[in-house]
Amino acid sequence: MSTSLIVLVVIVLVLVLMYNSLVSKKNQVENIFSSVDTVLKKRYDLIPNLVASVSKYMEHEKSLLENVTRLRAEANKPNLSDGEKIALDAKITSALGSIMVAVENYPELKANENVMHLQHTLHEVEEQISAARRAYNQSVTDYNNAIEMIPTSFMASLMNYKRKEVFTIVDAERQNVNVKELFS
Amino acid sequence: MKSVSELTDFYYKNLFPTLQKLENDRKNLKHRIVFVAVTMTAFFIFLAYSLGNFYEFILFAYIALGGILYKYLVHDYTHEFKMSVIKPLVHAIDSTLLYSSTTHISEYFFQHSKLFSEPDKLSGNDYVKGQIDGINIQFSDLHAQKKNQNSKGRDTWSTIFQGLFIVADFNKHFKGETIVLPDTAQSTFGDLIGHWLQSNNAARDELVKMDDPAFEKEFVVYSSDQIEARYILSHSLMKKLLDFKHKSKQSVYISFIGTHIYIAISYDRDLFEPSVFHSLLDYKVAMEYVKTLHLAIGVVEELKLNQKLWSKQ
Repeated sequence: MSTSLIVLVVIVLVLVLMYNSLVSKKNQVENIFSSVDTVLKKRYDLIPNLVASVSKYMEHEKSLLENVTRLRAEANKPNLSDGEKIALDAKITSALGSIMVAVENYPELKANENVMHLQHTLHEVEEQISAARRAYNQSVTDYNNAIEMIPTSFMASLMNYKRKEVFTIVDAERQNVNVKELFS
Repeated sequence: MKSVSELTDFYYKNLFPTLQKLENDRKNLKHRIVFVAVTMTAFFIFLAYSLGNFYEFILFAYIALGGILYKYLVHDYTHEFKMSVIKPLVHAIDSTLLYSSTTHISEYFFQHSKLFSEPDKLSGNDYVKGQIDGINIQFSDLHAQKKNQNSKGRDTWSTIFQGLFIVADFNKHFKGETIVLPDTAQSTFGDLIGHWLQSNNAARDELVKMDDPAFEKEFVVYSSDQIEARYILSHSLMKKLLDFKHKSKQSVYISFIGTHIYIAISYDRDLFEPSVFHSLLDYKVAMEYVKTLHLAIGVVEELKLNQKLWSKQ
């Protein structure tokens, strides 16, 4: 009698521990995603300012600017899923990147203090975003591992936990920031 | 900044007359030390033989007296060496740097780095302070010890840290605390148990798993903020720290707290001390002085601490 009771207690204990570890992993992902969201918003807030400062000069790149403005409006819509946010972020990153490349063709713009300041701020925010993304990816990897590995995988399928997506990190981001290039 | 080979040239060319004079002093000193050691040993053997007891006490006195006499004998030579070799070497790297042969990094910085437990005794020497490319940097040789009591109630001292301790301005703003330690648990106990031990380290903040496998293999990161840790430890900084660790060939401890980066490089000996039993003109001896100084002062360039981010301009 008493042995079966002990076995039962141990089983319940293990189940509780497994349940708790899964919940804490899921919450960690959500917690870090909210930080990612904050820095992403920070970047969205810079976009109108940037577009306003460069549109006067960049006659030929109107479509680029319109594109980034449209993406920003989309990103600011409520009720976006995490997956949609991740996809939008990738698009905005590449759109902003092409604007920055285009700025290089306009000497007046490169010398403009306002644009330079914006570029610097944007660069700083990008660093923060990159850090937040990496933190998010790690927490998602931990979470995905837990829901796919035995024994927690059984518990996860009972709790209906699904795999989450990670941010794909652009190769260019892995490279060193070249300050000289930014100034030249 | 001058390269290692330029500094080696400086050591052999510009310092040559001084080195030759010191080399004579060294030879005389060596003879004196050998003479004193032989006389003292003979005296103590005679003492032990005639008393026929108290061997333990005599041995203790022999070691203690030997240590004191050695320090006394090399004192002038050491001072002369530091002032005429180490100081010019430091100035050859950057003439604005200040050098003091007797002081060390303050206990405040040692404690503030949170790399090691609180010491009962902190000693050190060869303190260098100044600015490289507008970045404040200071470092010194440091020896932190803890007092323990053994079973007989006698005090014994154990070393917490011995080696080079560097404090420099860091080029990014951050609020939390991030600490990078050598990964001993994972390399001793394997990935699974080691990782479990690390994540349950009560003395430290949260474990941060980094996304650079080579870095993760050498180091373990603890931080009060998962995102900030990655903001500080960018891919490029992780690579640079890894290179720095390989270059130093020692255990390296790093922390980011306040506005500073703290780097502790563990050596098993007192650095920048003159060699007594090897020639000062010996290439190996010279290279050790030059390389260690170059490593410490080169931190700013090596880790690109001078490339300030915009918010910190």
